[in-house]
Amino acid sequence: MNASPTVLVHAKGLRKEYGSGEGLVRALDAVDLDINRGEAVAVIGPSGCGKSTLLHLIGGLDRPSAGVLSVAGQRVDELSERALAHLRRDEIGFVFQAFHLMDELTAQENVELPALLAGCTPSEARARATALLEEVDLADRARHLPSMLSGGQRQRVAIARALANDPEIVLADEPTGNLDSASAFEVLGLLEGLHAKGLTLVIVTHDERIATTADRLISMRDGAFVDETRLTGGSRGNLSTFAEWERLS
Amino acid sequence: MQQEVVLAMLAKEPSHGYELRARLARALGPVAEGINEAQMYVTLTRLEKGGFVARLDAPTQRSDRKVYCLTPAGQERVTEWMSDVSWPRPDLAEFHMKLIAAAQGALADPVSLIDAQRRDLLRRLREVGRAVMEEEKDSNAALLLEGIVLRLQADLRWLQACEIAWTKRSTPQ
Amino acid sequence: MRGRALLLTRLVRRDIRLHLAQAILLVVAIAVATATLTMALALNGVTNHPYAATRAATKGPDVVAYLTSPSQAKPLIQASEVAASNGPYPINSAVLHFDGHTAGALIEGRSEALAGIDRPEVLSGSWVRPGGVVLERTFAEALGVGVGGRVTLNSRSFEVAGIAVTAAQPPYPNLCWATAIASLPIKGGYETSVQGACVNLNFSAEGPRDVGLVWMTESNLLGLASKANPILDYALNIKLDDPAEAQAFADTHTFVSNGPVLSTWEGIATADALLVHDEQGVLKPGALLLALLAIASVAVLVGRRLSEYARRVGLLKAVGGTPSVVAATFLVENLALALFAAVVGLVVGWLASPLLTNPGAALIGTAGAPAISPSTILEVVGLAIVVALVASLVPAVRAARSSTVDAMNDMARPPRRRGILIRMSRKLPIPALFGLRLVARRPRRALLSAANVAVTVMGIVAVIAFHADVNSRVSTASGLTAGGLSDPVVNRDEQMLAVITIMLVALAVLNALFTTWASVLDARRSSALMRALGARARQVSSGLVVAQTLSALPGAIVGIPLGLGLFKATVKSGALPSPLWLIATVIGTLVAMAALTVVPARIGSMQSIVEVLQSEAA
Repeated sequence: MNASPTVLVHAKGLRKEYGSGEGLVRALDAVDLDINRGEAVAVIGPSGCGKSTLLHLIGGLDRPSAGVLSVAGQRVDELSERALAHLRRDEIGFVFQAFHLMDELTAQENVELPALLAGCTPSEARARATALLEEVDLADRARHLPSMLSGGQRQRVAIARALANDPEIVLADEPTGNLDSASAFEVLGLLEGLHAKGLTLVIVTHDERIATTADRLISMRDGAFVDETRLTGGSRGNLSTFAEWERLS
Repeated sequence: MQQEVVLAMLAKEPSHGYELRARLARALGPVAEGINEAQMYVTLTRLEKGGFVARLDAPTQRSDRKVYCLTPAGQERVTEWMSDVSWPRPDLAEFHMKLIAAAQGALADPVSLIDAQRRDLLRRLREVGRAVMEEEKDSNAALLLEGIVLRLQADLRWLQACEIAWTKRSTPQ
Repeated sequence: MRGRALLLTRLVRRDIRLHLAQAILLVVAIAVATATLTMALALNGVTNHPYAATRAATKGPDVVAYLTSPSQAKPLIQASEVAASNGPYPINSAVLHFDGHTAGALIEGRSEALAGIDRPEVLSGSWVRPGGVVLERTFAEALGVGVGGRVTLNSRSFEVAGIAVTAAQPPYPNLCWATAIASLPIKGGYETSVQGACVNLNFSAEGPRDVGLVWMTESNLLGLASKANPILDYALNIKLDDPAEAQAFADTHTFVSNGPVLSTWEGIATADALLVHDEQGVLKPGALLLALLAIASVAVLVGRRLSEYARRVGLLKAVGGTPSVVAATFLVENLALALFAAVVGLVVGWLASPLLTNPGAALIGTAGAPAISPSTILEVVGLAIVVALVASLVPAVRAARSSTVDAMNDMARPPRRRGILIRMSRKLPIPALFGLRLVARRPRRALLSAANVAVTVMGIVAVIAFHADVNSRVSTASGLTAGGLSDPVVNRDEQMLAVITIMLVALAVLNALFTTWASVLDARRSSALMRALGARARQVSSGLVVAQTLSALPGAIVGIPLGLGLFKATVKSGALPSPLWLIATVIGTLVAMAALTVVPARIGSMQSIVEVLQSEAA
């Protein structure tokens, strides 16, 4: 498969190791992955399987020990810190399990942050932030500090922030991990909405329910892919099989 | 299940078959799609034969105009059912045996079976997940669908454990 | 561009607001450091070049010629190198009595009008008038007389009209140092003749010479003179075209036997400097100690902030900040705080230094409050900028290097494990176990703590040594002259020392407060965990005290030779203080650190365990 404009993430032989000698930990073991534009990919697996590590590598938050990784056409494994930062700023949006908002900024200011970093004027950044906060239904909380928001609201702010510079791809690491089921529901809805608009999504989760909203579901264990399931395409199932009604004999 | 359900619905008031089906559909949501009227009438007939249900009608009326009601025996059955706490069990034993039989009889690779079943459940989970989104929050249908999702998740976890165990068995130590 | 600027200011403002207490403490520490530096520099400026300042302020002469007759003035005045001259003024000598003190007085007769050359600066009171004399400042202080007092000169009573300084003569007690004054006979009962004093003086000898400078009106002076005490000398103040030629001019025109004797301004300056020589000996190391202490306090506070930076670095990087942008946020914030603190420190120092340098504190000097020179401002602001840069360096490096996700999870430097110490501490009681493990866990923090204590002890030991030295000199040299005047040299040393001691103690207390508070805060999570596992609050507090003492002890011990070394380096022949004092210092410091640790420890143990664990993990 040649690298074409539609392949947004291309990984080959991706490895990540920590420590050395006896203490060597293989977080990722020679992983190959291709993600096309517009796809939603979920990575599922038990804790410690390497799914978060994979996501961090794709997002340029960490460097691979070996292998080729290219995101949005750039070779992530070869970029300088500065170039990586630009990539993170312009092409990638990240949503974390722990939200990681800046505690001293209001919701609006948090969402403006990437735009300002990219060099937008203050008024442009503000307009963008306002629009995004409306999209995630938090327009009335724009001036609230994170400490005054619930977990679900904080994650929605984080999602708005991830979208600030109109990224090509959004990476979500256990986005509902710290949320109660009602908030998780809302966040899930948001992510699905983004996918419906054509955004490329990679979601890492241990929750199958979140995972099955994607087009492709990759299972990981011990740093390697063990299975891949295509969830879209194919006929719609029959929900009535759950009712166990007696057949006509 | 279905017999007690129909009996209990009749406890409210005597009803036509199609009325019962409509009430069922409202309560079950998309899950009720596969249930057609014919199945409802088969169940009603069986209940009539068992003496739990009686028909009220004139002999000349067509079958779909029959009105059914509870007999005292039927009433008693309903009361029993209300206080019955046995929980519906999923049939894990059957799948478990399927894997063992496949391994012992060299009929198929257990891990492949597990993977196939997992894929199927995942697709089902996706369907149900979407259905939940479409229903109104806190409605009857949404509540039922939520329960199905959770059961599927539990089953998927068990399948994951099966996969780990059976993979270990097949790889030489 | 505007967007980034807005972002920077916003982040800086918000962060300061969120961590206001810490920001204030940092500002206080830097302000104290800059105020100290300002005062030290002002003092230094004053004592370094007092003569130059006096010379400029009083229009001091380049050459002073002592004539035995007024006719000797003409050839001198007409010399080609001479630009201007004043005088000749008659000079006489007398015996001065005041309040039981006796001294010799060298009296110049002057006009009431201000002269063009050698215009003594009147510091209090007014210039000469009939019946009113003016005394040279150091002389007046040694006598203990002030404006309005009455002195007798050769049994005639005069009122002290004013007190002044001049650049034409060295101040008491080195009055005659540079001059060889021929034939100054003095009549009546004074043991060391002025003539002898002024002619035969060799200033490597000990003790002051009780001769001081007095001005009075010419008519008063002529009135003092008598057949028995005639006027035999005249002073002529000369300004040359080229002040650098003063020595050559003096060499050419001096006739030792019965002719004019010339002294140059350089010679006077040298005599002038003798008085401050010792002061400088105390001031320089004192200023060094103060600077060290101030920097140590700042280091502790900055060290604390560094640990919070990691998370911010990670977050900004994750959102797309380049290493330079991230570094800029820290730099701007630290610069803003540091510069603000520098300004505060400069103002405080400027307001406070007159307290140290004006007449009350017996420093030789002059004319007005010491100005804060531009170089002082530059050095102080420079210090603040350096502090800000250093504080911003660590997160900047981290931003450029470390993996973003590690920074966000603050895993950059996990605590070290020392198996031996952990095994060893198992057998100890809980407080000791906890304390030992705390120290082993973060050896760099313990080291910083120890360094702070070392600097504090070094300061205290040095100050004690200086005090002992000054005291011993006072006792051996009796501190008083034959006439009962107090030794101005010793006086000045003592006062300078007192000033430095006070500042040092204040800084030491501040430093100890910062160090102990920071240590307790660093150990917050461990303390909460211990409590969660069942340790009592008192055990935990004791453990913190143990940890503090463990790191303070080596620091205190190291501080002693450091302090003694500093003392020895400046006072080469000084006697060391007794070992008892040194041991007392170590024990006192340890006790003080322990006591200061208890308070924040107690406060910390009252906090909810859950709150602490959750907030630290977030």
